[in-house]
Amino acid sequence: MAASMAMAVLCRRLTGALRLSGTRSGSTAASLPGLTLNLFHKKLTKDEPLHQLRFLHTTLSRKGLEEFFDDPKNWGEKKVKSGDSWNIKQLRAKSSEDLHKLWYVLLKEKNMLLTLEQESKRQLKPMPSPERLEKVEESMKNIDLVVKEREVALRLLQTGHEKPVPGEWRQDFLGRTYWYSYKEWPIPWHLNEKHKKRKFYYLPHVNKFIRLRVEKNLRERVRKQSLERKKRKVLESKFPHLAAQSQSQ
Amino acid sequence: MATRAGRVVYPLYQLGGPQLRIFRPNFYMLAVRPGVPQPEDTVQFRVSMEMTKIDIKNYLEKIYNVPVAAVRTRIQYGANNKRNHKNQRVKKPDYKVAYVQLGQGQTFQFPNLFPEKEQDEETRSFEDYKDKYLAREKQREKGDPRRGGVPDWFGL
Repeated sequence: MAASMAMAVLCRRLTGALRLSGTRSGSTAASLPGLTLNLFHKKLTKDEPLHQLRFLHTTLSRKGLEEFFDDPKNWGEKKVKSGDSWNIKQLRAKSSEDLHKLWYVLLKEKNMLLTLEQESKRQLKPMPSPERLEKVEESMKNIDLVVKEREVALRLLQTGHEKPVPGEWRQDFLGRTYWYSYKEWPIPWHLNEKHKKRKFYYLPHVNKFIRLRVEKNLRERVRKQSLERKKRKVLESKFPHLAAQSQSQ
Repeated sequence: MATRAGRVVYPLYQLGGPQLRIFRPNFYMLAVRPGVPQPEDTVQFRVSMEMTKIDIKNYLEKIYNVPVAAVRTRIQYGANNKRNHKNQRVKKPDYKVAYVQLGQGQTFQFPNLFPEKEQDEETRSFEDYKDKYLAREKQREKGDPRRGGVPDWFGL
């Protein structure tokens, strides 16, 4: 664990995170010199013993334009195997430095996949394994969430505020309530003509429409609930033994 | 730092203020094959709309370790002429194109990402079947050769 973390600190060049290490780590290390980051092998080879991680180099990255393209062995393949996306639980266990590096790995992987997608459209060929893009997007979103959680926690401890930007609940000219966050302006408010035209109140004639909106929302909610109840009844009639089980629970 | 509608809010910059540093940039950059032949040292990219020339230079230098001499950008307007089945106009998205000239005398040639690979038994037989099917369909469309190109609608 400590050794792997040390490796992580040394590395700069990070190859695609979503490749199965067991079959391809050897070829990756051979064809594209550079560090195959321990981190991802650990992720992908979660159930494999540590001795599988012997295909590691610590050379710094070479010229980077190759990183816009996949491993040359994969060019022309119909399918490229890749592991699952990073889970939030798995990411919460990582340090901030690791997350930072993982972000850049995923960014480079995303760029590579986008390049491949565009080229496949150009050559009128199907892109091999397009699901990799979704996995990378999801992983990046999860990293963002974890980092935000940590930032919020730190901010709460240091300042007592949850949000980075202060704000308040306001109502627009149609009576809708929304969260308005304060903006930074280079000029004082009394010189800001455009902002002064913006209305954060509503006139009395809007009350009728607020009432109609409330009624509409209520009707929608009631419809959703009754639909749920109806679906549940149908299921219970189809699977009476499970209905009895859930009722007893 | 994403807020609603995915719009990121950056701190306001005024003269003498600190340089904006983004820690986890969400900007994409993809290499494309140039439509018009470019000089040896020029690489063509499609980049996020918010990126400037300086941003692109820093991106490539810091993240990809590629020496950059010059960057030129333009925004490609995506056409709005096509119509869908409801006769609504369908817009092709706009995108920013960057032409990056590499430093230190490096050259770049866009590689062929779909080289011909030897197919295994399954794909070969499948391709054979597909070709035969297409040939049969074409023959059927052409019609009986004895009729000399006259459609079936006429005569006997």
